[in-house]
Amino acid sequence: MAPSQHQYLRLVIGGSTFLLPSVMRYTIEQRDALSENTASQSPVAAWRTVRGTRWPAYSLGPDLATRPAGDWHRAVFLEARPQNVGIIVDEVQLLPRGETEIAKFTPLGPAPTRFGHLFDGAWVSGRDVTLVFEPTALIGYLQSLGE
Amino acid sequence: MRRQNTDRLYVLEIPLGNTSLLLPSAKIAEVISIGRLAPVPYAPDWLLGVTGWRSLAVPVVSFEGFLGGHRMLPGAGAKIVVLYPLTGRNEWEFVSILSSAEPRPRSVEEAGLVTAQEADLPNSPYVAGGLKTPEGRLLIVPDLEALKTTFYPS
Repeated sequence: MAPSQHQYLRLVIGGSTFLLPSVMRYTIEQRDALSENTASQSPVAAWRTVRGTRWPAYSLGPDLATRPAGDWHRAVFLEARPQNVGIIVDEVQLLPRGETEIAKFTPLGPAPTRFGHLFDGAWVSGRDVTLVFEPTALIGYLQSLGE
Repeated sequence: MRRQNTDRLYVLEIPLGNTSLLLPSAKIAEVISIGRLAPVPYAPDWLLGVTGWRSLAVPVVSFEGFLGGHRMLPGAGAKIVVLYPLTGRNEWEFVSILSSAEPRPRSVEEAGLVTAQEADLPNSPYVAGGLKTPEGRLLIVPDLEALKTTFYPS
């Protein structure tokens, strides 16, 4: 398997590590650039306001379900339409090009989003597996979480 | 299925919790020891996770989940039985089944094995048939086509 020509963003979400191909534009925002969401019934943990538009940031567990935000420092916002969406991350790191070898991966069972499965690849190192997000499905999933 | 000069059918008995599966040896790529399983968010209950094998991510399935019982979790002595991709699937789509102990080779024609009656079999669309040992233990033959439809619904 040849090293991938894509670069990958390593995201640690709720203690679990995932990769995201850097085929989409993204920004990393520090907590102090966001405003906490105080609405108790809302799944949104914080908002980033840009030129009068609010972008939601979600706090996710390792199962990718929303959970209350604890002590956090940064969020990654993914460029999307109609609005960007963010994920609170424990860690974020752009891996050097050519360092990863991504294998194709088909998750079993029904797709959890109408955009398909959340993963379409995996980085395998010995017995360890890091799943790779399918960007369109991830954005669709995040946008489906609502405000 | 692998046949030799005689009409023998070689199969692997895969121990589960209270029963066993029988699969043709030719369907099995390798038996490996259990390692850390990476969870897959929003996966069905019967999917225990994925493991790395030959640079691929291989899903690990608990067959009990298809029999209506509790899914089996890896215990001491558990093994992972890696199957070749199911018929018609892509060459990287290996899947695996959790075995509660080291699988053992058997021959369908060995003395004492008899065809299980329908009443002996679990009521599940994932069971194609079965055999019974002289001691009365059930060896289930899974329906791989039914599994494939559930694994890859679209």
